[in-house]
Amino acid sequence: MKKKFYPHYLTEIIFFAFLTFELILVLSLLFSPKIGREIDFQVPYQPRPEWYYLWLFWLLRYFPSDKVFIGGILIPLSIICFFMLIPWIERKLEWKLTAILALGLLLFLTIITIIEIFS
Amino acid sequence: MKFIDWFLDRFRLKTSHKNIFEREIPEGITYFYCFGGIAFTAFVVCLISGLFLTVYYIPSEKEAYNSILRIHEEVTFGKLTRGIHKWSANVLIISMIIHSLRVFITKSYRPPRELNWMVGVLTFVIVMLEGFTGYLLPWDQKAYWATVVGTNIVGSIPIFGEEILLMVRGGYDVGGATLIRFYSFHVLWLPLMLFILLWAHFHMIKKLGISKPL
Repeated sequence: MKKKFYPHYLTEIIFFAFLTFELILVLSLLFSPKIGREIDFQVPYQPRPEWYYLWLFWLLRYFPSDKVFIGGILIPLSIICFFMLIPWIERKLEWKLTAILALGLLLFLTIITIIEIFS
Repeated sequence: MKFIDWFLDRFRLKTSHKNIFEREIPEGITYFYCFGGIAFTAFVVCLISGLFLTVYYIPSEKEAYNSILRIHEEVTFGKLTRGIHKWSANVLIISMIIHSLRVFITKSYRPPRELNWMVGVLTFVIVMLEGFTGYLLPWDQKAYWATVVGTNIVGSIPIFGEEILLMVRGGYDVGGATLIRFYSFHVLWLPLMLFILLWAHFHMIKKLGISKPL
């Protein structure tokens, strides 16, 4: 049977919208945010970013402080440019090579994120 | 001229709208196609909870931390609203990652949808920046030092680094000026960019339709 926007698709959209909201609600009821400590300039503090910035955190720690530009700006910008230009890269390199490159990059970002989680 | 022609064609500004009830849904769509919609739902939830938070939050060096305390302890459903804001942001980023993966694996980014793919990548970057600017607003120990580290990156840019750092921080150190700047980015500039980008994203989906599964 061919799906139509109404009623099949619309029902599914509404269902998933409610499901998403309920998931968020349950998560925030179970794990409510904590209040951090007040700013104290006397105490040395090693901050940790949210999980979605841990890959950048790893890059920052990998490169010495005089090469922050490479780890903090050059590499992230290249990653963004790579993902943005994927439609054109695929035309040059064919699908297989592009997929290996993109998924490899994603795997790399995942691995360094996991390393940061456990360090 | 070639670029403008390409842009106008991909943006489908010159074709007419189809009524929403007449749009075609291709066969063979799986539940992985839901994640764009899930991301948008999370975005709307994040936006609304954020609107409520701005009612009680005070973006000033002296008051920020106390206003968060007040939201937690005195405001009705304040803690819950903050939790929703935080968790919807997390759900948003996770579902955006899955959505991008789905688009990539089904090769939906191919022409004529390559402009929409670029808009999507840009949206992702802006959402990440929302995460970064929002991190400072509680004005606690963690937020402060994370922002010092984060903005130091900007200062490492050759030649213009110092000027850009001053622009981002509003001074040589992270302080009250930085807080107001980040607040402005977090609640005005970046959401405005997101509105424009999401409008373009959905406009192109409406015109081009859902890509056919392989």
